Amino acid sequence: MGAARKYAPLLPVLGLYAALFAIGLLVPGKWQLIAQLVFYCALGQAFNLFMGMTGYVDFGYVAFMGVGAYGMAVTVSSLSDKGLGMGVIGIGLILSVVFAILLSLAVGAVALRLRGAYFAIATIGVNEGFRYLIEGARIWNGSEGIIFSSQLRELIGREAAMSLSTFWADVMVFGVAGIATVLTIVYMRGKIGYALAALRMDEDAAKVMGINVTRFKIIAFITSAALAGLLGATAWAVKLTYVYPADVFGIHYTVEAIIIVLLGGAGTLLGPIVGGLIYGVSKYYLAVYLPGFQLLVFAPVIIAVIVLFPEGTVGMIKKNLLGTALEKYIL
Amino acid sequence: MSLLRVENVTKRFGGLVAVDNVTAEIAHGEMMAIVGPNGAGKTTLFNLINGVFFPDEGKIWFEDVDVTRYPAYRRAHLGIGRTFQISRPFGSATVQENIAIGAMFGAAGGEIDVDQAMDMADHYIGLIGLSSHRDKLAGGLTPIEKKMMEIARALAMKPRLLLMDEAMAGMNPKDIDKMVDFIKRIREEEGIAIVALVEHIMRAVAGLAERVLVMHQGAKLVDEPTKAALSDPRVIEVYLGVPPGEADA
Repeated sequence: MGAARKYAPLLPVLGLYAALFAIGLLVPGKWQLIAQLVFYCALGQAFNLFMGMTGYVDFGYVAFMGVGAYGMAVTVSSLSDKGLGMGVIGIGLILSVVFAILLSLAVGAVALRLRGAYFAIATIGVNEGFRYLIEGARIWNGSEGIIFSSQLRELIGREAAMSLSTFWADVMVFGVAGIATVLTIVYMRGKIGYALAALRMDEDAAKVMGINVTRFKIIAFITSAALAGLLGATAWAVKLTYVYPADVFGIHYTVEAIIIVLLGGAGTLLGPIVGGLIYGVSKYYLAVYLPGFQLLVFAPVIIAVIVLFPEGTVGMIKKNLLGTALEKYIL
Repeated sequence: MSLLRVENVTKRFGGLVAVDNVTAEIAHGEMMAIVGPNGAGKTTLFNLINGVFFPDEGKIWFEDVDVTRYPAYRRAHLGIGRTFQISRPFGSATVQENIAIGAMFGAAGGEIDVDQAMDMADHYIGLIGLSSHRDKLAGGLTPIEKKMMEIARALAMKPRLLLMDEAMAGMNPKDIDKMVDFIKRIREEEGIAIVALVEHIMRAVAGLAERVLVMHQGAKLVDEPTKAALSDPRVIEVYLGVPPGEADA
């Protein structure tokens, strides 16, 4: 397969992100909505790298975002007087990735030995357990969390701190989405993608074919966790300038990630973005027009999509485009 | 030196002894059949050889390597390929991708990239005569096509020993003869040893194997050249029972 054809599916993905970015910049008052949508898309993409590609559902996923947010908060609040300026944000991003990877290694070493429902059950307590550990052992200020808005102002000045959390934090989320996109297509087009696809479809047959399934699962798990760490650091810590354990370990973010991936199409490149847009737009407008009833309306819509298109919207689109010229753009 | 040596292996599932102290050898390039009635322990023996299970007792040698505790994927890298009794295609991948996965991760996998694996897959698709189905999803193939695809996928792993589990179950005599010819051909062309599990299709055993190992209730009953094995009275008894006149003799 030539490189042009191999990477053609990047076109619709990057096109959608470019369109979102342009709308956010050009349409007054829409930036926050766009930021929310990109967060959902990036969340879906990061989650898809593990759940979509391996078929394993990690209910503890939000914990990686949580420790990522803490990585940034701890960095900014403890290095604010060193005169390092914006470099501290860079260090914070690195630390958030390190935290997320360390946690993923600890969780993965235990949970990835389990399969299917057992894996899901094993991970379900990770975020709650971690939250209670932080609160109970009073790590990182315990339940009071870390508020670092004054340190951020001290670090880079009032103006810069303002634009960082109202604008550049969201741009960073676009960046995380970009990284997730590149990693997804590199994985999907490489041996690792075939290994993951094989183990998703039949893990025992994959082993017999010479695939070291544990190794590939761990690689996907770590990658997905590292992206979650970045997402927590940017979309939560830098944007809000505070981190509360009760906020950043909420299981509903994991549930949102699962819904986004299933709506869009698990294991596809474009799916999480389409899923993130459907989810984000419906959630936003239902909250505006049917406040209080949004979940009541939303639940049957999700059920309908999943029943009608079990492979997600992108899976359905892909099937319909099979054999046409547009086929190569959908992955 | 033998290619594979199984030494006194035993595998129990709770109180059931599925494989009972079996010793067997297979030489390079040999064609052997393991036969036995349903429940004789054939598939368990296969699972022990390719690492799906570890034996409770005994040792397994592949060439000069003690692989008793090797996981399945490492045995695949050493050159043990396998097809399943009930085909296990990667259903939502194409036929080409299925076979390429074998090439990518099998014994030759280390040096092969994705594009080369796809080219290798094309070669084996041609060999099994499924070129027109190359881009079809494997889940949509007929049972016989799935069996053929699985053989191609195993061959693409470049094994030195191919374990075939009931490759001919459910086929009519014409298809069996075709399959026997095909297996003989790939053994010549690829220079590999083949162990075929067969439950009761003696037409296949007679046509295919140089040597037959008969299993009964987990243990090895007979291990002899095909003709001698199939006419052995113990084998006939296992399959047909004792003739009524001799029952109490």
